[in-house]
Amino acid sequence: MAIRWLLGLYFVYMGLNKALHPDLFLKLVRQYDLTSNPCFLNAIAAGLPWFEVFCGLLLLAGVAVRGAALMLLLMLMAFTPLVLHRALTLAAANAQHLCLVKFDCGCGTGEVFACNKLVENCLLMLVSAWLLTGRGRRLSLWFSPFEAACHSGGTDSHVS
Amino acid sequence: MRSILLEGLAVAAIGAAVALGANALSPRGLKLGRDYFPPRLQAQSSGTNLSPKAPGGSTNSAAELLAAKIRAFGLEPAESNRVSQLFNDPRREADLIVFIDARDEKDYKQGHIPGALEFYDPYRDKYLDTVAPVCRIAQRVVVYCHGGDECDDSIQAALTLRDVLHVPKENLLVYGGGFTEWCSNGLPVEIGERNSGQMRR
Repeated sequence: MAIRWLLGLYFVYMGLNKALHPDLFLKLVRQYDLTSNPCFLNAIAAGLPWFEVFCGLLLLAGVAVRGAALMLLLMLMAFTPLVLHRALTLAAANAQHLCLVKFDCGCGTGEVFACNKLVENCLLMLVSAWLLTGRGRRLSLWFSPFEAACHSGGTDSHVS
Repeated sequence: MRSILLEGLAVAAIGAAVALGANALSPRGLKLGRDYFPPRLQAQSSGTNLSPKAPGGSTNSAAELLAAKIRAFGLEPAESNRVSQLFNDPRREADLIVFIDARDEKDYKQGHIPGALEFYDPYRDKYLDTVAPVCRIAQRVVVYCHGGDECDDSIQAALTLRDVLHVPKENLLVYGGGFTEWCSNGLPVEIGERNSGQMRR
């Protein structure tokens, strides 16, 4: 439960940091060259931070925990290689070791050392995957809304 | 497994709707249909045609590259000496020479060129009413941001002044060195609101 709350708080905090300054986040997202379509780029910069906040709140409340964890895991799996790629590009450009590269990856914490961020993301992926296994049910409002529908006659997933 | 996927899809769908709704309601939200980085700016940022060579064959200085980049947008760059002269020109007191600070609100409040108007392009609507009339009558409009590699904000703001507010391009100058150079030259800095009278060195 504590891990679920910690992960939830982490994403609420990181999401709000970005959501309150979407203009700065937009500039950072653009550096990744994800797309040349401005509408798509804007949608990522505008939506992603609030989506993180939403998933974080779900984890905190204990609602659709595995669905939220799955989304966070997918986002981490998508963005971690991008962070690595950008860090490698900067390392090559500045002739630096990867772990000495410090940059704002747009993760919500300002400038960070690349290796620290990559390790942090790996830990977050592990925690998200752990929640996917169905852990962290204590004090959850509605842990798994679709479980009953998929397993008719299955156990009640509401744990208070 | 199926229930997890269903949950994930539901979270994705509801989350996307909530996220876009929150952005629409947020006073700092982005306009999805607006191009915050015009195509020309994107093309130039990629480094296209921005590597002029010095006559001797060596690569020109960073300042010259920046000036070339500013010119590539059809804008006129200004160096620190010229900017200092314009700052000390008596016409500035009559708003015939205007300085435009293209950095965000927080940076502006922490310090700006005395008398400069705030104009952060991503939230341009907030500033248009103040900036438009002043810039249209000004004989010279000097736009600056942090300077150096982070000069895109001043270029973007100058393009908005030229293309949206129809400020004549011959009146527009982009101070490439920007606020960083201004401070390193030991020139006066005003903090807080415009004409607050609070200065720091």
